Amino acid sequence: MGQVTLTDVRKVFGAFTALEGLNIDIAEGEFVALLGPSGCGKSTTLRMLAGLDFPTAGTISIGGRVVNDVPPGKRDIAMVFQSYALYPHMTVAENIAYPLKKRGMPKAERTAAVQKAAATLQLEPLLDRKPRQLSGGQQQRVALGRALVREPKVFLLDEPLSNLDAKLRSYMRAELIELHRRIGKTMVYVTHDQLEAMTMADRIAVMHGGRLQQFDTPAAVYDRPANRFVAGFIGTPSMNLVEGAVRDGTFVFAGQALPLPKDRFGDVPEGPAVLGLRPEDIRLEQGPLQGTLRLVENSGHEQIVTVEVPGGTRLLVRAEAGRPLSMGQSATLAVETARLHLFAPGETGARLGRDPGGAVVEMAPRQSGGAS
Amino acid sequence: MKLLRTVAFNLFTWSLVLLIAFPLIWMVLTSLKPQTELFRIPPTWLPQSVTFEHYWRLLTETPFLIYFRNSVVLATATTLFVVTLGTVGAYSLVRFRYRGRETLALLVLFTYLLPSVVLIIPLYLAMVWLGLSNTLMSLVLAHTTFALPYALWLLRSFMEGVPEDLESAALVDGATRMGAFKDIILPQLLPGIISTALFTFILSWNEYLYALVLVNTDSVRPLTTGVMSMLISAFNIEWSLLMAASVMMSVPLIVVFAFLQSYLTRGFGAGGVKG
Repeated sequence: MGQVTLTDVRKVFGAFTALEGLNIDIAEGEFVALLGPSGCGKSTTLRMLAGLDFPTAGTISIGGRVVNDVPPGKRDIAMVFQSYALYPHMTVAENIAYPLKKRGMPKAERTAAVQKAAATLQLEPLLDRKPRQLSGGQQQRVALGRALVREPKVFLLDEPLSNLDAKLRSYMRAELIELHRRIGKTMVYVTHDQLEAMTMADRIAVMHGGRLQQFDTPAAVYDRPANRFVAGFIGTPSMNLVEGAVRDGTFVFAGQALPLPKDRFGDVPEGPAVLGLRPEDIRLEQGPLQGTLRLVENSGHEQIVTVEVPGGTRLLVRAEAGRPLSMGQSATLAVETARLHLFAPGETGARLGRDPGGAVVEMAPRQSGGAS
Repeated sequence: MKLLRTVAFNLFTWSLVLLIAFPLIWMVLTSLKPQTELFRIPPTWLPQSVTFEHYWRLLTETPFLIYFRNSVVLATATTLFVVTLGTVGAYSLVRFRYRGRETLALLVLFTYLLPSVVLIIPLYLAMVWLGLSNTLMSLVLAHTTFALPYALWLLRSFMEGVPEDLESAALVDGATRMGAFKDIILPQLLPGIISTALFTFILSWNEYLYALVLVNTDSVRPLTTGVMSMLISAFNIEWSLLMAASVMMSVPLIVVFAFLQSYLTRGFGAGGVKG
């Protein structure tokens, strides 16, 4: 019904390759977020799913049917645009009814369907208004209503929350999760906001430079980033990435040596590598690293501390609130070695070693830029 | 003090309005004066006796109505042509990506920069070749050639103001390209279409040079050249008839403008898209 499959999809605009060898399999009823910085190809992917753009190569299928040559209106999809794209000259009711009208549904049925969708989204009092008379949040709900009303197989959402203020955004985020749970339809959600992706999606497709970097659950993307790009992109504050080298079972950088657990990194060949450490996996206590506190940012429920280790490398460390810390103070750092990551050098250097459980996830050859 | 300023401002504004409107007012007043009162010295401001005889003479004794009909047909047909072609052309220039798109737009602008006199002879020859010489259609085509470039640019800028997302949304909602154009884009474009139509209509209604050259029988002459050839001869200018004709020529424009002006401003602020 609502499965979505992209096979070897490639998209070229003139001399620019927007997407390269994209393979994504989305199950019925799944909520998938396409996440990445601007220009990573996520919106292009969504537009191709909608039929507003066409792949240069590869196939796209929705509900088991190849839709490469099917016009948008016949794909059984609905889309919510970042700009909402409400028709300004139509009332809310007419906006919501438009897709039904285009399908030739009789007027009485149309009115009933609009009423039902309006009830779901608490839009009843607004049905006779024009879009310009609505607030941003209300316009957003009308756009959702227009998508909901025809009960499509797949919902495509293009950064639907990015025009809302912070408070409304978190409210609508909860609403969308609830909506997805209730209607159980496949949703593909494009965002550059990792918080949205992490909190809403069943699986996240992290994209960068027109390539899929990792496609996995939020927990897996966070705990086992497939490469250096994903490691640096997911998480706030972002993961500390330190250039150095593997030597004698330790990670050496700027004159310091951090012992690597043998069970995970025993097989990693010696040579240049990148160490990844999340701020919460470094603690300000007795440990192998020395440093000086350069900046303490207290957000109330925690403190983010910037520690400079000899050689000038700066590490972000998450510390509990209330602990007396001051700038210029020297400290030693302990590292949760079970949770550290190693990557091959290069912007998208692959993950090295074994997972904490012991299973070999990847034994990628050491090369730069060789992410899948 | 404040009152004084308001009064001063009002006086200033009204004197400006009067100054600008004076020729129009004089035209109307003259058309209502009897022949004997026209050249009296000192001139009378308000007609001492109001007469409609010039209007009557114009409508019954001259081919004025034929010219009027020709002008209406000419201006309406030109407007229809220009707006239709302009809208479709602007849509193409804005929405489709093809080689030479910008060059084409610039080329169109370039033809607009040419003085229309330069084009008269080639256009006349083209009309003869098409078998359209001395017909209203030849004037419609000629007027289209000089109104279309500007209309295209005007509509292009309006079209650029219509968010592409609106059309995409309509396509996803099940509309065909034509359906999306009709349901969504045209209503958004209405202010632009109306101002383009107005511009074209006025241009065609007032055009003199092409009408003079391309057409030379009374049955197809529009008002501009018709009235001129009818009332102005080497020996005599029929001032009162000319003024009456001028009033009747301007009235349709004033009516159309007054009616559409409110329409023009409406919808400009409309927008369902947050940007």
